[in-house]
Amino acid sequence: MSNLLDVENLRVKFPTRSGVFEAVRGISFSLNQERLGIVGESGSGKTLTGRAILRLIKRPGVVEADRIDLDGKDILRIPEEEMQAVRGKRISMIMQDPQYSLNPVMTVGSQIAEAYRVHSKASKPEARDRTLDMLETVRIREPEKVYHLYPHEVSGGMGQRIMIAMMLIPEPDLLIADEPTSALDVTVQLQVLALIDDMVRERGMGLILISHDLNLVASFCDRVLVMYGGRIMETLDAKDLHNAQHPYTRGLLDCLPRLDGSHGELQVLKRDPAWLEA
Amino acid sequence: MIRVENLNVTFGDGENSVQAVRNASFTVAEGESFGLVGESGSGKSTVLKAIAGLHSHWTGSIEVDGMALKQKRPRAFRKLLQMVFQDPFGSLHPRHTVDATLKEPLAIHRFDNPEQRILKALDDVGLGPEFRFRYPHQLSGGQRQRLAIARALILEPRVVLLDEPTSALDVSVQAEILNLLVRLRKEQGLTYVMVSHNLAVVAHLCERIAVMNRGVFIEEMTDEQLRSSTPSHGYTRQLLVASKGYDRKAIDRFVEFT
Amino acid sequence: MSISDTPNQGWRAWLLTDTPSSRRHARLSALYRGWLSFSENPMTMIGLGILLVLIFVAALVPWLAPHDPFAQDLAARLQPPGSENYLLGSDGLGRDILSRLMYGSRITLYIVTLVTIIAPIAGLLVGTVAGYAGGWADVVLMRLTDIFLAFPRLVLALAFVAALGAGIENAVLAISLTAWPPYARIARAETLTIRNSDFIHAVRLQGAGPMRIIVKHIWPLCVSSLVVRVTLDMAGIILAAAGLGFLGLGAQPPSPEWGAMISEGRTYILDHWWVATMPGLAIFIVSLAFNLLGDGLRDVLDPKEGSN
Repeated sequence: MSNLLDVENLRVKFPTRSGVFEAVRGISFSLNQERLGIVGESGSGKTLTGRAILRLIKRPGVVEADRIDLDGKDILRIPEEEMQAVRGKRISMIMQDPQYSLNPVMTVGSQIAEAYRVHSKASKPEARDRTLDMLETVRIREPEKVYHLYPHEVSGGMGQRIMIAMMLIPEPDLLIADEPTSALDVTVQLQVLALIDDMVRERGMGLILISHDLNLVASFCDRVLVMYGGRIMETLDAKDLHNAQHPYTRGLLDCLPRLDGSHGELQVLKRDPAWLEA
Repeated sequence: MIRVENLNVTFGDGENSVQAVRNASFTVAEGESFGLVGESGSGKSTVLKAIAGLHSHWTGSIEVDGMALKQKRPRAFRKLLQMVFQDPFGSLHPRHTVDATLKEPLAIHRFDNPEQRILKALDDVGLGPEFRFRYPHQLSGGQRQRLAIARALILEPRVVLLDEPTSALDVSVQAEILNLLVRLRKEQGLTYVMVSHNLAVVAHLCERIAVMNRGVFIEEMTDEQLRSSTPSHGYTRQLLVASKGYDRKAIDRFVEFT
Repeated sequence: MSISDTPNQGWRAWLLTDTPSSRRHARLSALYRGWLSFSENPMTMIGLGILLVLIFVAALVPWLAPHDPFAQDLAARLQPPGSENYLLGSDGLGRDILSRLMYGSRITLYIVTLVTIIAPIAGLLVGTVAGYAGGWADVVLMRLTDIFLAFPRLVLALAFVAALGAGIENAVLAISLTAWPPYARIARAETLTIRNSDFIHAVRLQGAGPMRIIVKHIWPLCVSSLVVRVTLDMAGIILAAAGLGFLGLGAQPPSPEWGAMISEGRTYILDHWWVATMPGLAIFIVSLAFNLLGDGLRDVLDPKEGSN
């Protein structure tokens, strides 16, 4: 039985005026039907990792890996036409701000229906019915009404639910969520995550949650990868987070202000250049 | 130091007007650090902008250092109260170097010794002289925010308004900036009013905290009370629970507060 | 971060440094980086090259031109291109076309320079004041812009000629008066966007008055789009001047203005194509050069390029 996703020695490079810049430098991990969190600060390469798996990085960026396998089958070297059948149908992605990832000139309902028809041979009325079902599944009340709204007419939380509906309607095996809740209020964030949790569990999907919020990821996911400078610093089970060994992970945990802490000076993360060489 | 009474702020006119802040009243003593917490749409940033004079459609009374403020601000006000904005990139002019950004307020108010003041301002926020002639796009997020703080402090204000100063920064950088803000306040005896949606950050930096929801002040408490989870209002309690991380059972109990 | 190599020798390092030591150093560094982006585009460099040749020729034409542009030689009229003495042929009065084109480049540059000074600057002033002030100032200035936008260029030129007499300056005036409104619109649109930025709020909070904000904060940001627009409009301006010249409303004979030359060549076009075609080609090449330059400038100065 192969893993749902295998990534080995993934590298993402960009040519710049001063030489080649490696944003992701040889990371490897595997995933089954579990929730994996990838945590890192800006510039750590976490977003590029997600996009590299879906081969969404355009030239002049270059993606290299020993392998990227979905269910044991290669998806790194297959031609673009075959990859299009993978995107959406087998691996889906939710991004940060629904205002930017939804088409502003199409109604919300028609976008979801379109996503459905791209990956199935459904007719328009069938797709519409499925869309309404899906809107209910993501706990949007009055789906009939919301179907005809435009993206700018819905709130952030609802927009993300719509994104989730759109991305899960083709029933993919793996969902990559890139900072899906960073633009939302904290209570709405948790409600959206609860929804993602339910859907992932019900459908037996794998989930990669990319975020900068270590505590959130640790409380939600099963396993956590901590990235820095394009490399994985540490992999741990979420419940073991507070026993993290790597100084970077410890540094990140220690520098957060805590509700049960004091007004004292916050510990500042000391970046060890050796981490970049590791 | 600051006294706000019955502040009402509206956006838009006539039929399209939205009341962003309703009957807000609070005081901030000199040297105190006051926090304003709320989710988006709560009106917290609007209160700050009204105090700063950046928004003119308000009614009620705003007094800073005994001076009652009208819609237009007097010159002296600029040296009394300054603001640090949320987006470190958006609050700096992309075509002005660090030096130009710091020189400008000095030129406007005709301060003497601009050279020394600029060097001191950079030193105070931990930016070395090698940053002096860089452009904002050559600075990291944390460095830009330091510059924004230096710019706010170069006119020697007594009150600094902070609009989510660390929300756009990485967690490790946030710690540095928060430490910097605490140190500067101690060194210069500043009064802070800080707006944030992050309870932990506010509890760390502030002594008294007010919670807003949909334009209305829900309750006020000290940071001790917040930490020991003894807020009385359901909305604040819910916010506290949400700040602690993902807890499925708690989430299922979330309610909408209007 | 992993970067393979960084320049570390001499003046190139000085220009690409991350820690400029003075304002001038910072400016030069920014210009140099802009130049590096700019020069990566071969089409743009071709455009730039053509324009440099144009400037060079216009500057040194008394020493470069093989003949006097006004010297007539009726015995040598209508010589084809490639004939001895007349590289591009001669026109109906026996004047050397090459020399006339070269002297005509001065006129072209003169027109281009004048319009570039008048129109975008007028547009910038009107647009930024309208955009920043808002209210009735905005309304009045924009209606003024609309009025000028409504004037057809040729009709205005005819009116000027009727009132003030024909000549290049009047043609330039007519073109400028109809060219400035689009710049005002661009400047106003940019100002409206910039006006709500935090950095404007910040400087207002520091006590800056509207004049300082418009001049020191808004203008530097509008300049890029205006420069791009002007360069791309240049072709149209040259064609407009040529058109006026063709109609006899611009430079007057025997002035070697390219449009007037095309007009003079009309009568000979069937049997002696070069008299009209050579100046036409010159106009085409220079317009193309401006377009290529404008495209390259836009790629470099595009406002979205704000991040590193």
